[in-house]
Amino acid sequence: METLAPLEQEVAQLIIETLHLDDMQVSEIDPTAPLFGEGLGLDSIDALELSLAVTQKYGITISSQDPNIRSIFASLRDLSAHIAANRSR
Amino acid sequence: MSLQWTAQRERGSRGSLRLIRWIGLRLGRPAARAFLYPITLYFLIKAKPQRLASRLYLTRALGRPATLFDIARHIHCFAATILDRVFLLSGRDRLLDIRLHNPECVLERIDSGRGFLLLGSHLGSFEAVRALAIGRRSLPLKVLMVPEHNQVITEILHALNPQAAETVIPLGTPESLLRVKESLDQGCMVGLLGDRSRPEEDTLACRFMGEPAPFPTGPMTLAAATRAPVVLFFGLYRGGNRYDVVFEPLTEGIAPERRQRAQAVEHWTRRYAERLEHHARHAPYNWFNFYDFWDETGIGPT
Repeated sequence: METLAPLEQEVAQLIIETLHLDDMQVSEIDPTAPLFGEGLGLDSIDALELSLAVTQKYGITISSQDPNIRSIFASLRDLSAHIAANRSR
Repeated sequence: MSLQWTAQRERGSRGSLRLIRWIGLRLGRPAARAFLYPITLYFLIKAKPQRLASRLYLTRALGRPATLFDIARHIHCFAATILDRVFLLSGRDRLLDIRLHNPECVLERIDSGRGFLLLGSHLGSFEAVRALAIGRRSLPLKVLMVPEHNQVITEILHALNPQAAETVIPLGTPESLLRVKESLDQGCMVGLLGDRSRPEEDTLACRFMGEPAPFPTGPMTLAAATRAPVVLFFGLYRGGNRYDVVFEPLTEGIAPERRQRAQAVEHWTRRYAERLEHHARHAPYNWFNFYDFWDETGIGPT
């Protein structure tokens, strides 16, 4: 498994804290694995809560109307890249 | 093999629904209603699983063994509301006598600009409420729906009223609930149904008419995650052209802390099951779940 970049580590921590994945370590998250369905197995409720947490922490709003919405949530790496490109704090 | 069969059944129901629409719009409501009797008889004879499910449910709801006449009345009630959907969604709802009970609890919340969840069930007609919202543009309603569920019905109804299509939020994508949250933030009411669970969904066994039945916990989990108030509604068909649409506030918001959430979600899911039982006891023939609702394997409707 690949090692995580610093922002990826931070976002992985946010995912674990927000969704209370208590039995998971940051190092266990594969940055390229899908977050939803297979991989981490997150669901629609998790997506909502994760978006709210990202908004609060990084000051970016993830809109359901964003044409790239699926790819934003595709993996930890994609989500981190989206945050890096759009964050305001 | 089974796929082919499904496709065939789909075509069959598409045809009969088109026929209902055509009869309804061409011949008018009184003439179309005359067709409900042969339709009822047909399903009473042909639809064995639905007949068995009806008997199981009615025996519990009525508190006595259900008769064949009770089952016929049940099927007739269902067919009548399906026909009325045609009139509701094509803007001919003046043909119907729809009485609202406690609409203030909805209207006041809309005026205050705070979005909320409007939680219904398969007890009665969901469309009775939806048509009112589409008719009066000022009532902002979105509907959260499983897209493949009732696809044929949805397709035809949307042909009747394209505006209805715009109000649907399809379930099952990562962004579905994000759209719900955005709609709530804009002051919309978001309608969903809380009695049927899908096989992969989390459920809670709630006491319903004396026996445990699996209720989905998704609606209350959504309420907790969005912190939105929940208002219950029941669009009950009373026979003839009469509908009673009952609104009932359930909660101003569910404790949002994720760690205490499970308990709160259980509490409000049970409360929903209690209110559903209350209204089902008073309008037993409005129950439109024609499958073994108590089957804990959660197979749900086929």
